[in-house]
Parts: sequence; C-alpha cells; structure tokens
Amino acid sequence: MSSHSNHNVDIHDEVNYDPTVWVPHTHSHGTKDIWLKFWILLGLTVIDVAFYFIMPPSMARNIIFIALGIVKAIYIVGTFMHMKHEKLGFASMIIIPMMFIIFFIAWMLFEGNFWGTI
Amino acid sequence: MSTQTISQSSTWGGGNSPFKVSYGKLMMWVFLLSDAFTFSSLLTAYGAIRYSFSSTDTFIEEVTPVKLEADGIPMRDGRIDFTFADNLINKYTPESASHAAHGAEGHADHTDYFVQKMGETGIFSESHWPSPDLVFNHFPGFGVIDFHGMHLPLIFVSLMTLILILSSVTMVLAVEAGQRGDKAAVSKWMLWTIIGGFMFLSCQAWEWTQFIGAGSRMYSNPYGPPTFAALFFGVTGFHGFHVFSGVVLNIIVYVNNLMGTYEKRGHYEMVEKVGLYWHFVDLVWVFVFTFFYLI
Repeated sequence: MSSHSNHNVDIHDEVNYDPTVWVPHTHSHGTKDIWLKFWILLGLTVIDVAFYFIMPPSMARNIIFIALGIVKAIYIVGTFMHMKHEKLGFASMIIIPMMFIIFFIAWMLFEGNFWGTI
Repeated sequence: MSTQTISQSSTWGGGNSPFKVSYGKLMMWVFLLSDAFTFSSLLTAYGAIRYSFSSTDTFIEEVTPVKLEADGIPMRDGRIDFTFADNLINKYTPESASHAAHGAEGHADHTDYFVQKMGETGIFSESHWPSPDLVFNHFPGFGVIDFHGMHLPLIFVSLMTLILILSSVTMVLAVEAGQRGDKAAVSKWMLWTIIGGFMFLSCQAWEWTQFIGAGSRMYSNPYGPPTFAALFFGVTGFHGFHVFSGVVLNIIVYVNNLMGTYEKRGHYEMVEKVGLYWHFVDLVWVFVFTFFYLI
C-alpha cells in the first residue's frame, strides 16, 4: 500500500523497488536538438510538397513519400519521444513490430494495384 | 514465502525495472503500439482500396486532353491547366449567385461550379479515384482576403502539418522543463501545446465543412467512388478524435501542474507520458498526410 503523497517512500529506491511509485532519475538533454529536429521536419514536409508538384504520379513517387515519412517518424520517435535515450531492448520491443506494420501498409498498397486489373 | 531473497544483480530476476522505465511509461508505450495497429489497419485498407481504382491521370490519358479541352477544361502538357483558373473555378459572380437563388442558371458558389464541371467532363467519376489536389484545393479567406476561386492544392493541409509539428515541439519543451523541475516553464509550454491542439482541430473542422458542403457523405460524394469520402471521414475522423482526446489530457496535466500536483509528487513524469501520446498523434498525422494527401 503506497501513496503518492507519502514522502517517506523513495521514488528512486533501487533496493526496495516499489513498481507503483518508482521512477528513474531524469535529466534534461537541452533544447538545441529539439529545435534542430523541428527545422528538419519542416524541411522534409516542404520537400514532400515540392515532389508532389514537380514529379508526375507514379509508384516511384509513392516510394519517395513513404521513405520521407519514415525519416520523419525516426526523428519524432527518436528525439521527441526520447526513444534514442531508452534501453535497446525497450526500443526494439516497440520499433520492430512497427517496421512490419509499415511494410504491410506498403505491401497492401502495391497489392491493391492488381485488384483492378484481374 | 521468501520473496525478499530475489537477487538484485540479475536484470530479469525481478525486484527492479529491467528497461529502467516506470510502470506507467512502459504501459503508455504498449498502448501506443496497440493504437498504431488500429491506425495502420485504416491506412492499409485505404492504400489497398485506393490502388484498386485507376487514377485521374489515367482517365485524362484515356479520354485524351483534346476531348477535355473541347469540353471546356483548359489543358497543358496532358494535365489540367490552372494558370487561367478564372475560366474553370472563378465563373462565380454575385449576379450568378442571385440567379441561382431564383432557380435560374448560375452557381451559388465557386466550389459548386468547379465540382459540377469536373463531374460533367467525367474527371470526377465513381470509376476512378480523384487526385487529391483537385479535391483539397481550398484555403479559408474569412472575407478579409478572398482565396475563393483560387486553386491552392495542399497549402491548407501543409499548414495543418506545420501547426501539429510546432505543437509537438512545444510539448517536448514542456517535458524538458519538467525534467529540470521548472514548474512555470511547464505551464507556459503546456498552454502553447493546448493552443496548437485547438488550432489544428479548428482547421480540421473547416476542412470537413468544405468537404461536406460540397456534398460528401459517408455513402456518396461528388468526387469519386463512395469509399473515397468514407475513408476520408474514417481516417481523419479517427485521427481528429485522438487530437481531441490529447487536448483534454493536456488540459488535465496543465491544471494539475498549476495546482502543484507534480511538484508535490517529486517528478513530472505525467507530462512525459501525456507527451508521448501527443507525439504519437503527430506521428499518425505524418502518415495520414503521406497516404491521404500526397500519394
């Protein structure tokens, strides 16, 4: 029985570990990286829109859009969601299933292309 | 029962957090993974259904640009020419609107005329998927500057993307302030995040108003196959409701922070957990933007 307002409980205690209150020590990684990633994400979105108008529609263009989407996802998950500072096992647990999912979306997109022709 | 004899030296032996994350944060990530599955099922269905139809460009190639030119659609290099958009979109005049009100020939709105013209020439048809730049080409003017009758594809949705990325930045700045235990900075950045969320929701409401105003419903729409509007409402509606939930969670965290809940608790991890959800909503929008508006 623990209470959040109980000051006698050490929230960082590693020896008498209590999963209901335990949190790791946190420290800031600064704001420089955050703003850098913002400008990168903005730039990638501008590149997306530029490709939309310059290049005629094709599967090659779709692959470019999906690739740029994945790059944006890496920056959002890595920096904004702090995934690059997490333990490798934890990051793998989340990222590996997502890689299969993105593959599945792309696969069904190509698959649908054949439905109309058969 | 000797549960106290677990060896602390073993990572997976119990009595510690092997991933060095709190229970709440771990469960937030597990939830987000399951939520990602939900969204990917929507996007998978969208990609497959959309590509089972042929495209606007294939249609233009088949009926030939010459035929469309004769039907009154300005063409250049095999694509619709919007350089002289006046001919195509800007047929609307206040006179023609009053004519329309009296049942005479004319069009009540620029959008009405454009969509009807596209339908008459077969560019919008149930047999092929509409090109997104012909559907989402509006920008709100609110009477100050009249953007009506201008062909501005993707501009509005790019603005929505910018708003959501910016609100993601303010959210991560709130998390960073929490890590330093700076209560005032957490309040400031949370407030900006909430404002960004409301701005995005307002944009989406306007987008839906345009789309429904042109005659789109769950079961039919003037742009293309019925599944086009059904998937638009499904995917952007599902995402929009997530944004709404995120704004509600952000407001709760903002109020809690003002009341000093996290200061008393000794850590600001709740800001980080709600932040994860907010970034996830931004992440989903990246893919909605890619699959719905670009591809």
